[in-house]
Amino acid sequence: MSIDGEPGDADDTAAPVDAVALALAGHPIPVATFGDFRTAARDLIVRRVPPESVQWSGSETPHGDLLSAATSGLAPSLPPGLLAQPPAPPPRIPRSLMEMLQSAACYRAPDRWAFLYKIVWRWQQGQQEILSMADEDGARLQHMVKAVRHEEHDMHAYLRFRERPPEAGDPRFVAWFEPAHDVLPQVAQHFARRMGKTSWMIGTPEATVLWDGHTLHSTGPLMRSAADVEDSGEALWLTYYRSIFNPARLNADIMHGHIRTRFWKNLPEAAVVPHMVSQAAAGARKVGQLDTVGKRGGTTIPIAAEKAAPERQQPSSLDDCRRCDLWQNATQAVAGQGARHAKIMLLGEQPGDQEDLAGKPFVGPAGALLDKAMIDAGMDRRKVYITNAVKHFKWEPRGKRRLHKTPAQKEVMACHYWLETELETIAPDIVVALGSTALKSILQSGSVTMKDYMGQPFQHDGRWVVVTYHPSYALRVPSAEARHEAVAAIVAALKLAQRLADGEQP
Amino acid sequence: MELIDKLEILADAAKYDASCASSGAPKRSSEGKDGIGATNGMGICHSYTPDGRCVSLLKILLTNFCIYDCQYCVNRRTSNVPRARFTVEEVVKLTVDFYLRNYIDGLFLSSGIIQSADYTMEQLVAIARELREVHQFRGYIHLKTIPDADPALIDAAGRYADRLSVNIELPTQDSVQRLAPEKNVHTIKLAMGNIRLKLDEKEAEPKAPKFAPAGQSTQMIVGADASDDQRILTTAETLYGSYKLKRVYYSAFSPIPQSPKSVPLAPPPMLREHRLYQADFLLRGYGFQVNELLPQSGNLALDIDPKLAWALANREHFPMDLNRAEPAMITRIPGIGLRNAKRIVELRRMRQVRYADLARLKCSMKKIAPFIVTADYRPPRDTTPSEALRRSMADVQQQMPLWPELQAA
Ligand code: SF4
Repeated sequence: MSIDGEPGDADDTAAPVDAVALALAGHPIPVATFGDFRTAARDLIVRRVPPESVQWSGSETPHGDLLSAATSGLAPSLPPGLLAQPPAPPPRIPRSLMEMLQSAACYRAPDRWAFLYKIVWRWQQGQQEILSMADEDGARLQHMVKAVRHEEHDMHAYLRFRERPPEAGDPRFVAWFEPAHDVLPQVAQHFARRMGKTSWMIGTPEATVLWDGHTLHSTGPLMRSAADVEDSGEALWLTYYRSIFNPARLNADIMHGHIRTRFWKNLPEAAVVPHMVSQAAAGARKVGQLDTVGKRGGTTIPIAAEKAAPERQQPSSLDDCRRCDLWQNATQAVAGQGARHAKIMLLGEQPGDQEDLAGKPFVGPAGALLDKAMIDAGMDRRKVYITNAVKHFKWEPRGKRRLHKTPAQKEVMACHYWLETELETIAPDIVVALGSTALKSILQSGSVTMKDYMGQPFQHDGRWVVVTYHPSYALRVPSAEARHEAVAAIVAALKLAQRLADGEQP
Repeated sequence: MELIDKLEILADAAKYDASCASSGAPKRSSEGKDGIGATNGMGICHSYTPDGRCVSLLKILLTNFCIYDCQYCVNRRTSNVPRARFTVEEVVKLTVDFYLRNYIDGLFLSSGIIQSADYTMEQLVAIARELREVHQFRGYIHLKTIPDADPALIDAAGRYADRLSVNIELPTQDSVQRLAPEKNVHTIKLAMGNIRLKLDEKEAEPKAPKFAPAGQSTQMIVGADASDDQRILTTAETLYGSYKLKRVYYSAFSPIPQSPKSVPLAPPPMLREHRLYQADFLLRGYGFQVNELLPQSGNLALDIDPKLAWALANREHFPMDLNRAEPAMITRIPGIGLRNAKRIVELRRMRQVRYADLARLKCSMKKIAPFIVTADYRPPRDTTPSEALRRSMADVQQQMPLWPELQAA
């Protein structure tokens, strides 16, 4: 989309000016838009004309270049022999700097073009520090950019449309705003995106833009002050504004810190602020309520306490477990899952991040690896029972993530209660202990180590125990080779468990 | 009841919710399209009220009838307040009208619980659906999720809303049980977990139907129970980690009419809420952990900000040489924000950082001077005891108590 008079389009309409010739003659270079400036600056750089030798005039704006107009008789002389030099390469301005220059060009300052040319010149000389706040010109450039963006932001925020009666035709909405910098073109685009096919007009002291639902049009000033459009919708807004204010938190300084003074006079809500502040100061702080609401008759809701609570599934006793502190930071307890009288129980360590959210064991990456190992071992997931030694996820914050933390033996012991219940009801013939926590839980001892039991099944409490790696160990090992070995060990353990279940001896 | 009367009651009833941000939605535009509304990803505050809070959304309740009895809430069933209820069409009309006049960036809709969690949630979803599908509204929508509602409804809500929130309300399970007897931390966590699973799914499968692109948030009320800041921040840290929340909002408990005896009469100092936000920002943006900011139980200091408090308690890291320090450590220097830390690192790639550079970057020199070393500067006071430094650097204007008459009582 383009807007008439948008920076950059001027090249097509205005006759080109010969910036170098004007500079040589000691005349100011007329610049109305950023496009004019860009063309002129490029020509001047190519002819190596230093910033001290150029005067600029920005005739368009009322805040234009008064200074240089007044001093135009005193042309600084150009360095001798300038034109005898070979032309310099045209400036290569990175996109980010170009965007800054374009923003800064909207800043109303009498010397804006001269300053921007100085920046371009210094960049061309290789002085990259103009990009830094620590450089004096760099700081000013950033200050200008910031002020312009701030103004755009404020215009996005504090412009208020009033609705015209439908019989008045287009534009349907009209607004008045007094921007301190030349931000109207960009801001108009913002409202075109926002309003769809609804027509509107924004008046400022310098110019007017109109959106007909498809295209933006710009003209000179058409309005002189805040839109004199009656709009009954504004009453709703004022009511909302008064009601959303919490007098118990009165802190008008912060409000004034956010909305700069010059915007208040065109904000409809400004009219009700003094009353709100004085009411709040006069005691409305005791309850946060708006006094006009408080004065209305109220009603309580006649419903018995027992009937109010939603019907929830009775929490399982596992969900209510407080045998250790792990419940506190977990979402839910994750119970075992699988065939009710499975011959084989796969016992992991504890639920992980995904399991904690889903409420099911082995659904995360380690679960996927275990699934695959089961397939490789010819084991049917539906015929086994899968659970963990500890039922709540133990973790530690790492930035915004949860880092798995190995449960302490006292937590393993506390949670053994639940494993025992499962062992009783499922009564498996074989338990595959996946990892050392599972082993420690089965043996109820914190001092056992995996390597003493790896690959050699043993009898414990009348059932076989097979020990192998936890699937997440296989995910963690650094080399592909070690990973391969770990997976192979898990598959082998599952096969062994299967054979034991079929009544074979190890 | 006239629309304007309902608006008065139902905005008044919604003002205790702290969240108002409208950022994080994907960019959308209505240019040349039917319907209205755009988002730029950043969100805009359209006004400020004299409590210093911004207005960026039409923040209202669908209704303030509520069958629950949460003690800190003005709309609890035993509270004797005027009640009102919007129709779906009224909320839609208000949103569109306000949006066209540029008062707001979108809608933040919440509700008292009427009939059941599912029924209430259905109504909220209906409004969002009407806005999106009938009016092709592309502005921001934030829906407060009713935790006990059917996950299918939460799923639907996520298709229309930019953000969903489930309020945890209080930092401990005991407090929730005591002060909000109909609520249940377990189902609140399950709802948040459910939302996170959906967000993860969407992230892993870009072609999946859209789901709450601006993520989820929550709110905790501060000062309605006895929880200290360490407890509050630990809960926040847990929630951030577990449910990938975009924000935790802290809302200093506000006095309510006919306040029940179970909640305090006096509000906490506003400065406490402010310090919690500062600490929260350090957790989210600066990589601090709660146990660094508050190694023991207790509250954040009121006289100095949490970063300065951390620096004074960890003097062994200082003074820090700006020309050598790890970028992440530079952000830990009091008075240097993320942006200036980045600028310092950029500058030192070109040349040595000098003392005067920092003034130009508008760092608070008084604050950073004891903690830094530059090419031309070393603090003369780097052995000054932390206590003395603290006295000299305490925030000069201690904020006045906000409710002097109540605090005296
Ligand atoms: S981890 Fe086990 S013992 Fe600890 S609270 Fe959870 S279920 Fe109970």
